[in-house]
Parts: sequence; C-alpha cells; structure tokens
Amino acid sequence: MAPVAPRSGDAIFASVERVNAELFTLTYGAIVRQLLTDLEEVEEVNKQLDQMGYNIGIRLIDEFLAKSNVARCVDFKETAEVIAKVGFKMFLGVTASVSNWDADGTCCSIVLEDNPLVDFVELPDTCQGLYYCNVLSGVIRGALEMVSMKTEVTWVRDMLRGDDAFELQVKLLKQVPEEYPYKDDE
Amino acid sequence: MGREVSESCVDSLLTEMVSSYCDRFYANKPDLAARRIEAIGFQVGLQLSERYTMERPRFSDHLEAIKFICKDFWSELFKKQIDNLKTNHRGTFVLQDNRFRWLARMSVDPSPENGDLSQDNPPAENKAAQATSMHLYFPCGIIRGALSNLGIPCAVTADISNLPACSFVVRIKA
Amino acid sequence: MIVCVAVVGHQNNPLYIQSFTEADDALKLHHIVHCSLDVVDERVNNPKKSGPTLNETFLGLLYPTENYKVYGYLTNTKVKFILVTTDLDVRDADVRNFFRRFHAAYVDAVSNPFHVPGKKITSRTFAERVSTIVKSFGLSSAG
Repeated sequence: MAPVAPRSGDAIFASVERVNAELFTLTYGAIVRQLLTDLEEVEEVNKQLDQMGYNIGIRLIDEFLAKSNVARCVDFKETAEVIAKVGFKMFLGVTASVSNWDADGTCCSIVLEDNPLVDFVELPDTCQGLYYCNVLSGVIRGALEMVSMKTEVTWVRDMLRGDDAFELQVKLLKQVPEEYPYKDDE
Repeated sequence: MGREVSESCVDSLLTEMVSSYCDRFYANKPDLAARRIEAIGFQVGLQLSERYTMERPRFSDHLEAIKFICKDFWSELFKKQIDNLKTNHRGTFVLQDNRFRWLARMSVDPSPENGDLSQDNPPAENKAAQATSMHLYFPCGIIRGALSNLGIPCAVTADISNLPACSFVVRIKA
Repeated sequence: MIVCVAVVGHQNNPLYIQSFTEADDALKLHHIVHCSLDVVDERVNNPKKSGPTLNETFLGLLYPTENYKVYGYLTNTKVKFILVTTDLDVRDADVRNFFRRFHAAYVDAVSNPFHVPGKKITSRTFAERVSTIVKSFGLSSAG
C-alpha cells in the first residue's frame, strides 16, 4: 500500500463534529462523583475509571485510524508520538508531548499541560488518593492493545495534586506480531 | 472561553457510562442503574443551567423557563432547538426533538453495546429497546436538573414511540 | 473600597461570605448582609417598585447606611450576591462589571463536581478569584 501522508491533529480536529467542552467536562465530573458515592472506595473508583477508559479506547481506535490516515505504527516510538500529537488533539483538542524515553525505547512519558477533563475541578481532601483523570490511562492502554501493543500506563504527575503538568508513563510490555491485529473469533 | 472537544468524546463517554452502570455495577438491578444515570444527568443539568442563564434576565414564569430549555439550552447542547413544544396548560409540557442526536448517533453504531455476549441471549430487539431507554435517563436527568435549579421541581420521562423523534415529557410538581 | 461580599442561597442560607477590612467589624458586616436579604426579597416580590429593571439580575442599590452602600444581584437560579462598599461615589457601571465577573467566578465554582449544591463554597480558586475582582473594583470598567 502506498503510504498516505498522515493528517495533522489540528486538521482532523477542525474537520470532526465538535461540541462544547463544558458538557463533556461536567458529565465526566458527575460520573466521577457518582462513582465515589456508589463504590465508596477511592481505589475502586480509580480501577473503574481505568476500565471505562479501556473500553472507550478499544472503540475509539478505529475512528482514530480511519480519520488520521496513520498506517499502523509498528514502532512503539512512532506510536507514542502519534498518540500525543494526533490522538489527543483530534479528540480532546489539546496537544501532548512525548519525553523521557528510556534507553531501549520501550518506556516514555506523555505530558499534557492542558486538559479539558479538569476545568473547574478541585479535589477535596477526602479524595487525595483519587486519580481523577484515570480514564485517560485506560483509553491509551485500550487503544494500544487494539494495535497489538500491550502496555502499562501509570500517572507520574497530576496537576490536581499540585504538579505543574499531567504526565503519564507508558511502558511497552509486549508487542504481539502485526499479523493478528484483531481477535480471531470472527 | 469556547473550548470544544470532539463529539466522539461525549458519545463514547455516555455509552460507556450507561454500559458500566447497566452491565457491571448494577447488572441485575436496572432500576438502580437507571436512578444513578438520571442522577448523573441531574448534576450536569444543574450546573449547565447555572452557566447558560448567566447573562440573561430572570424568567418570570414556568413557560419562559421551558422555552429557554427548548431554545438556548438545547442549542448549546445539540446545535438545534426542540422542534415542537406542547402543553396541556395544567403543568405538563411535551418537548419533541424530531431527530434526537444522542439516539441518532447511537443507532448507527453497528457494534454491540458491550463486547461480551451474554450467555442467554434475550431477543435482540428487546435488548436494544432497553439499552435505548437506559440512555434516555441521562438527558431526562439533565432537563430535570436544569428546571429544578430554575425553581421548577418536576418529573421528566422520555417517549420514543416515534423514532428517531424523541419526546421529553415534563410534569411540573404542584 | 469593597468591605464585604456574600453569596446567599435561595433559602437565605449563606454559601460564601468574606469581609475585606482590617478592623474587627465582621459581625457588623454580616448583619448588614443579613438585613439586605429582606430588601432583595421585597424588591423581587413587589416588581412594581423596581420598574424598568424588572427581572434584571442586577438589583442596584439596596440601601445606603451611614457608612456603607449595599448592592444586590439575583441570579436566575435564585442565588443572591451582596456587595458592601464604603465608597460613597460609586459608578453604576463598576458595580455591574463587578457582579458580572463575580457571577462568572461563582458559576465556575459550582461547576466543580465536588461542590455540593446548597452547601458552602470552600474552593480556594474561588476565594482567590473573588479577592482579585474585589481588588480591581472601580479601577477600570472597560471589561
């Protein structure tokens, strides 16, 4: 297949249907609060937010591949760049950057300085263990799994906890051969 | 501010919220799941009504507030107004959206609601109808939250007997 | 100078009150705010008196005392904002501008998912924003 130039995140974001971020931000906030009420344990809320993100990620990847023209990235390094530059932009309208690569290129940080999920949010003292944006780590994990990369995603910095940015560490655990991008049971 | 996100973000979040509550947290208790989804909508409606009424005079009666929901409020959320508003003049209002966006977007989604197929397959149609009605607790909650915050306590239900049209029935509590 | 601002819920429950004086007159200011609530209710329930400002969120001067001027604002969601100032020569535009910015700060504060409707506003961000708005009162009404 002839390589098609990948589209920039800005161009895609400009072309997709968009809605007021407030609706998204407030809905996510209301979900987090309801989960805290229903599940009681902050740890369990973290887990469920991650699970919700994972489920969203495995669905969003198709839209991402279709709209971005990116070929399936074989290289983890390239994949991380595409997630940060194109993925975050086309869905959330913000750009992320990639840094802190380790020597063998299997672990890096995705850094977000702006994040619509947390507009208006202030964590109360009772929720200090909460990873409020944990849905994002799940989305990345789920999306990468659909392109055959098994990863572990953890928070390094969190502005809601007083850090100067949001930083997610993405660690490649296992790369499944590219011939089996989809599950075999169809 | 005018910040925007892609519509897919909202769609996927809502789909996932509904399936988490219906299939995971309260799998065998649809009533409880429905109540939680409505509560999430209620909080959003409360906050949005605060925001979207910021630069306008106070409403002088119920009808004015309902009209605000039909026009400005709906436009902020769906880029269109409610198509038809009816009332029996005794506290019941019917707000009809001829093509309710959250349902329209949902029905074109070919993938099943949740990845894992359950053991005993109920009739697909039945299941789809149930999933649809679960999705509607969220906008019902939004409308109730917005009106309550404007001083109008009410109950809100949805009627989808004319898909893709959707009617929201608002019954104001005396 | 603004000496006190307050946010009061629809059941006259205080949601936020902050005074900005060195002197130990918080109690007196709270009393002034409390008294002003009745004036707001009266204004709103007897719309004839307010004439052309019918249903406008900005209620104008509620009442002057010997040393203070008290202004009010009522949102569509029946939340009252009260402003107490020692300035005797206040421009209407400045007060309107103050309330507009204060309202925006309030809306953001209650958009915090952890804020419980009807409960006190404890947000630090809100307190800081209010303090900034109070400090800039009357300096420029261009915004």
